[in-house]
Amino acid sequence: MTAANPSVFLLMVNGQVESAQGLEEGISQITSKSQDVRQVLVWNFPIDVTFKSTNPYGWPQIVLSVYGPDVFGNDVVRGYGAVHVPFSPGRHKRTIAMFVPESTSKLQKFTSWFMGRRPEYTDPKVVAQGEGREVTRVRSQGFVTLLFNVVTKDMRKLGYDTGPADTQDIPR
Amino acid sequence: MAEVHVIGQIIGATGFSESSLFCKWGIHTGAAWKLLSGMREGQTQVDTPQVGDMAYWCHPIDLHFATKGLQGWPRLHLQVWSQDSFGRCQLAGYGFCHVPSSPGTHQLDCPTWRPLGSWREQLARAFVGGGPQLLQADTIYSGADRYRLHTAAGGTVRLELSLLLRHFDRYGVEC
Repeated sequence: MTAANPSVFLLMVNGQVESAQGLEEGISQITSKSQDVRQVLVWNFPIDVTFKSTNPYGWPQIVLSVYGPDVFGNDVVRGYGAVHVPFSPGRHKRTIAMFVPESTSKLQKFTSWFMGRRPEYTDPKVVAQGEGREVTRVRSQGFVTLLFNVVTKDMRKLGYDTGPADTQDIPR
Repeated sequence: MAEVHVIGQIIGATGFSESSLFCKWGIHTGAAWKLLSGMREGQTQVDTPQVGDMAYWCHPIDLHFATKGLQGWPRLHLQVWSQDSFGRCQLAGYGFCHVPSSPGTHQLDCPTWRPLGSWREQLARAFVGGGPQLLQADTIYSGADRYRLHTAAGGTVRLELSLLLRHFDRYGVEC
């Protein structure tokens, strides 16, 4: 679709989205820790999304929820995490910490462990927002690494300066 | 008017002696700056790290400023507090850092400090908790009237902020 005015192509998960192409949500396969000395979990999940917007406010964030089986075989949440998609074009690696909501009392902790119903967010997108977090207690456990290749269109034409391509790769 | 987008997150804190930490943050700007969208202040969740000593908050920051001048460039000020299992909060450190002025992604390490009281107050803090706090938060990010303070170092807060500038070259400003 050709546009007469320059437009900005962004990746958006929450915010001011005008249009979106590609899958905005996805579920990966189930992976187990590798048998070798590295003990890593690999998903290798492809992401290919294109969005369009007119304002960088509400820049896209990718929200991850990690689930896994507990001792009794129930699927419980193992971590939530979110990171902004980088906006300078190029290749970027991001390693984000994952956290899990914590029960308030010890009895509730034991009950949720026993019943297999751990505290979780009803909408994982709250992880991408800053409001309402001050009353939650979480435990941080684990990290997830993401790799982004970002292409933008017409940001410079609209007057935006994104700076140099990000060269800080987190070596993890 | 030139515009500045500050997009990023408060990643977490390390080096504090307490383990369940949360952070109250705010952005202070000069008179020439106007906040167009975003929350100017907030509070993160309380995190208890299971692996290592770094508490992770991953608190998103998304702000859109319009400015007529460079004076009063935004400063991000932080108060790190610890919460124990009974829900009592104790101050762990104050810190501030200027929002970076060049566009791109920046990793910031913000050191923190906390006020020390008399030796009586320090002893009480070790046993009972509490301790002196600042009455006015603007001492954290302003240099006035600091000479009376006696402080000790706290841990470090790690942030990742990305700056997106608009129309700065129109006014001849080099960033």
